[in-house]
Parts: sequence; C-alpha cells; structure tokens
Amino acid sequence: MHKRKNAAGRYLLKTIGTVIGLLLLVVAGNARALAQQVAGSVNNEEFTVAQLLKLPGKVLGEGKNTRPVGQFKLLKYRVEEVQLPRSIKVELLGQKVEVDKAWRLTVTGGPFPVRALPAVIWIDDQIVGYGVENELLSEITAITFDRSLLSEGGTISLSYGEDKQSRVELPEKLSLSSAR
Amino acid sequence: MKIKMQIYTLAFLILFLLLNNTGVVCAQTPDPGAPGPLAVTREEYDFGDTAFTPTNFPGPVELRASVHYPTNLSGGPLPLIIFLHGRHATCFTGGTAFLQWPCTMAGSQPIPSYKGYDYVSEILASHGYVVVSISANGINAKDNQVRDLGALARAELIQKHLDILNNFSSTGGAPFGTKFIGKLDMTRIGTMGHSRGGEGVVRHYILNNSLGSPYGVKAVFPLAPVDFNRPVVNRAALSVLLPYCDGDVNDLQGVHFYDDARYNVPGDPAPKHYILVMGANHNFYNTIWSPSSPFPGSADDWLAFTPGGSSDPQCGIVKNNQRLTETQQRGTGTAYLTAFFRAYVGGESQFLPLLTGDAPPPPSASTNNLFVSYHAPDNPELRRDVNRLLNATNLTTNTLGGAATQSGLTPYDLCGGDAPEPAKCLPDEPNARQPHTTPSARSSLRGLSQLRSGWVDLSGLYKNELPGGSRDVSAFQAVQFRVSVNFADARNLAGLAQDFSVALTDASGSVSSVQVSSFSSALYFPPGSVGPVPKVVLNTVRIPLFAFTGVNLRNIRSIEFKFDQRLQGALLLTDVAFASAPQ
Repeated sequence: MHKRKNAAGRYLLKTIGTVIGLLLLVVAGNARALAQQVAGSVNNEEFTVAQLLKLPGKVLGEGKNTRPVGQFKLLKYRVEEVQLPRSIKVELLGQKVEVDKAWRLTVTGGPFPVRALPAVIWIDDQIVGYGVENELLSEITAITFDRSLLSEGGTISLSYGEDKQSRVELPEKLSLSSAR
Repeated sequence: MKIKMQIYTLAFLILFLLLNNTGVVCAQTPDPGAPGPLAVTREEYDFGDTAFTPTNFPGPVELRASVHYPTNLSGGPLPLIIFLHGRHATCFTGGTAFLQWPCTMAGSQPIPSYKGYDYVSEILASHGYVVVSISANGINAKDNQVRDLGALARAELIQKHLDILNNFSSTGGAPFGTKFIGKLDMTRIGTMGHSRGGEGVVRHYILNNSLGSPYGVKAVFPLAPVDFNRPVVNRAALSVLLPYCDGDVNDLQGVHFYDDARYNVPGDPAPKHYILVMGANHNFYNTIWSPSSPFPGSADDWLAFTPGGSSDPQCGIVKNNQRLTETQQRGTGTAYLTAFFRAYVGGESQFLPLLTGDAPPPPSASTNNLFVSYHAPDNPELRRDVNRLLNATNLTTNTLGGAATQSGLTPYDLCGGDAPEPAKCLPDEPNARQPHTTPSARSSLRGLSQLRSGWVDLSGLYKNELPGGSRDVSAFQAVQFRVSVNFADARNLAGLAQDFSVALTDASGSVSSVQVSSFSSALYFPPGSVGPVPKVVLNTVRIPLFAFTGVNLRNIRSIEFKFDQRLQGALLLTDVAFASAPQ
C-alpha cells in the first residue's frame, strides 16, 4: 500500500514536472523571440527684450565698487531709464496698464556662467527680472516696467533660479542719485 | 528523501516561473548599454550658422548635426533617435568662452556641444539605430530674451531637422546623396534633450502633435531638464533622469514632467519613468561640458555653482564622498537611455525590467546607487490606483472608493498640491531641497500632492480598503507606491534608513506582511548637507505580489502600511497602486 502511494506520488510529480518543463520552454522561446526584435520678466507683445536692450537709456544710478565680490565676482550695478518710442500696454501686478518707460538694471562682474537656470536680479526680496547676459558674459541685465521695484537704498542681489537662499549680494546699495 | 528532492526541485521551478512571469529580478536581463554587433559610421550635415529662424526668435540659428548610423544600412528603415543639448557657452577663443551667435569675434569658433553625446550615440547605432545630435548654439545665445526661455525655438529646431531627415529618407540630398533613401523610419522616433534641451524635447512632442503628428515620436527622455513652462507628454513613453548632485538645475525641477503627466489624460497608454542617479551632476552627461574637455566653459557644476559644495559629504570632494566620475556617470546615461529607446522605440521588451526597477542596474551603468521610479499605463490590466492622494477626500476615501484610515499618525495631511494644500511640504527648507514642489519660472502650477505623515511608536498604521469589485489583484505584478524619508522631521535620525511593513489582508482575514527594506532601499535618509542637498525625491517602491504568501490575491480586502519597524519616523508618500510592467 505504502509502495503504491509512493509510485502514485512519483507519477504525479513526473507529470507536473513535464508540464512545467513545457511551460518553461514556451516562456523561454517567447523571451528569445522578444530579444530578436531589433530594433526676461518682460511679457509684452509690442517690444521684444532684444529691442528694449538696445534702446538708448539715461543712467539714473551707478555703483562704484571695483573689488570683485563673492562667487560671481560681482562688481557694480547700473540703472537706466528707457523712454519707449510709444506707449504700450503691459501687465503689472496682474493688471493691464499703459507705460511709456522701462528701466534696465544691469549687474557687472563675472565672467558669468552660462547655465540652464536663468540669472535673476533682486532688489531686497523682490525680483526685478530674469537676466540676459551680454556676449562677453561680463554683464547681466533685467528689465522692468515697474518703477516701484527700484527702492532707494535697496539691496541688489543675483541668483540662478528663484531660490532666495542662493542670492549673492552686491556690496553697494541702490542709489538713484549716484550717477550725478 | 528522493521525493523531498523532487518537491524542492518542483518548488524551485515554480518560483522560477513566477519570477519570470512577474518580470521581477530577471538576472538574465541583458545589458542594453553594451556595444552592439554593427559597425558604426559618423558623419555630419551643416547648412550654415544662420540657416533657420524660429518663430519670434531674436536671431537666426544654425542647422548642423552629427549622424551616427550602422555602416551597413541594408536593414533599413531604421528607428531614429534625436539628441538636443542644453544651454552652454556658444563660442570660444583661446581659453575664453562667450555667448554670441554666430561666432564673429576674431579667431573665435563654436563650442560643439552637440558632440557631447557621441559616447551613447555610438552604442545605439551599433544596435541598429540612426542617432542625430543637433547643434543649438544659436538658441543658447539668445534664449533668455524670449518669454519661454527658448522652449518653442528648440521644438521648432527639432521639427526642422526632422523635415531635413525626412527629405534625406524620401528624396535624398546633400551632403548624403541617396544614402539614406528609405533608411530612416520616421514613424519610430525617440527624442532626448539635456538641460534646456529637456524641456525642448517635451515642447517638441507637443508641437509635432499640434501639426498633426507628421512624425511618430514614441518616446521622450528629458535628461537633467528644466521645466520652466510645465508642458506635458502624454501618449508617448516618458523617462526623466535626475542627477542628485546637479549643481545647475539644482532643484531637479524636471521631476514635474513625470508628476504632471501621471493622471493628466485618462486612458493614457504610455508608461512613465524617472531615474534618480546618486552622485551624478549636470554636466558630465555631455563630454564637451565636462572638465576633461579641451573647451573653455566646461566645469564640474556642483563644485562651480554650489557655494561650499566641495565640503558636502555626498556631492563634494571630501573623503568617502559618493560622487561618480565622468565615465561612471556617462555609464548611467548610456544604460538608461539605451534601455529606454531600445524598449519603447525599438520594441526590445527585454529591457523593461530595468525601466520598472525590477532588475538591478546593468553593468554599463557603473553604479547600483540609483533609484528607478515607474508609473504604469492607465490600463486596468496594468494599473489599479488604490490611492492617488490628490486631494483632501483621499485622506478618508481612496481612489477606489474604499475607506482610507490611519491611527497613531501625526501629521496626517496633504501638502504640495493645489490649494488649500500648503505649497511646500517642508516649509523651512529651500525649494532646491524639495523638487516635487519647486516653483516654475513660467508657470503658476503647483507641485505634487503628497501625504505627509509620521509616527512616534510601533503602532502607527495607514490603511486603504479595497471595495468589492476591485479585490482581485492576482493579475498584477506588484504593489507599489512612491515614498521619501522626510529629512526635515527630527523623528528621522540623520543617516539612518527608515523601514516599515506592507501588509495585505484577504477576505478571510489572513494577513501577509513584508518589510519594505527586503525589496527596496528607497527609504534611505537623504544624504548631503550643503546647499541643494539633502533633498526629498519620492522614489518608487515595488513589492512583488508573490512575496505576499498565505493570502488569497483574488480577494484582497485591504493594504496596510504598518510603521512597526522603527520607533519613530516621518515620510512623504503618494501613488499607492497595484501595477505591472508595460506589455
């Protein structure tokens, strides 16, 4: 009786083993078949940033520092007022307003790296705008239509991306009478 | 004794079959990054520095590209892979780099960023692909002057090159004559973009669709990408590579491409992936941008752009740092770019386990210290979302309509998603340390909605019940979720990996529980201490269902996360699902 049970068990195992073997062949064959298949903060439609960078400007303020500071070897700033050839509508703080002036804030130093993240120029905790490098990588300029951002005595700083913690400050505060 | 042996053999065979069927482990997964059997030829075409002007772009750009292809083209038409480099200095003279286009200064020459991916182009071409790497210096010189920072210009440049390649393949033309006629398969295309090129390939996918999909883009791979405008890829395979020690795009904002695409289009048949590569930086993926390059402007971006970065224990240059060398880092690019394109453009499905994370990195990757995340296609046979954790409702009712409950967890809230969720999950940490919620330069979209939670004894529990009709999970390969240790929560001890249990309970009350650490190392404590690191990146944990023994997978009543392995801890979590690899 015991022997017969063993024999039946062996037969059952043999059968299951054969079925599994066949299944393995199918799976392996399928895998082989698969393996063989080869296989600037400015947002207006009337003037481009390029145009606004080229328009003549009146210098309202300019730093005097000559000692490079920090990671980007920052030197000084320059604020220019740009009279637009005609009034345009721009969006400021979520509202459409008509403006006839723009302001350029330029930071000098470098050579500035050409990075994927854009340079961002700040005054205190406000973003003035995303910066555009000049060809020699010695200047970065942001353009704004919002005069109120240019706060007298404000701290000017530069970052890549908008993370406040990574800002590097210029040694001089903003002075709009410093060009005189 | 003999019968015992036979039973062991049988058990082994059954286990082997199960493993094979689930796609898990797969020690036999071949290395996609190993050189292939075909000889490769490299040539270029060049239609000049000012041959093309993208729409509303402030200047003309070049039409120049390298082409790697199998020397013997008789097997064509061959699938086509497009590479697009990112933002970098455009010209140089002597040891000085600058930003101009064309390079008109005396003695100046272009920096050939488009040659920086030759190492992976050669591998792909040796496996039967035509790889075209596009030069985009003209865009780099002026892209900060346009609102979208060059995304559309890059997209149009790619499309223009596809038009050129289509001409090569249909009518032929200089400089190749008739060589490529009938040899380029314009219905099987993959695109890879690095850095700003990463957003460029995503934007291109949308542009090509908007034109009626004249070209068949099957797979899109942004590598260390920016995501300023938040365009989204759906209905094409997506993979994003995120270098943990990226010193340029140091907030890893490209993870938004994956996060934004997940549930964007109901029925989206495309899989999505990302690979977090520990110890990798931004520049080493391009040989021209790397310190070993002879061109000025190259740098180890982590060291160059991270103040104090050299002293970081993970990404710096101190003893026992975890940084990859240039060669090792390119190995990770080679492995996962080739796996992705060979799987989704070439149909070589044997590489899918690498892309789901079920198989370990192949030898060509040169490191095991990376994490693969995977989102299955929106197909009921491949993915059943248990809890997407998208809004406050999901704190009490999961995506399946079952109860979501907790005990002993604090907080138990959502963060990072749309208001009223707080915009950031780690309120006192900089954006660069929390990529899933980092703001976008040209979009007001919020980030990833995440469950923020923690526990203070071994009884913490998070439970999702499966309602009737969704309890048969036997056809899926795995239960999976995305998770990160919250390094800013003091309940996690610095440097110590977390762990917890995942338990399935069936209708009869039988419970099977497994530890996460048995299947994944994603519960690491995020390393680093300087600037953008440590950072929370929610990596996918996939636990194969065969691990849950003694429960009836045809009738599972609930899935529980039991925080019973560490006395205390805190996590960020999302995307709880049952899922399988693409078919």
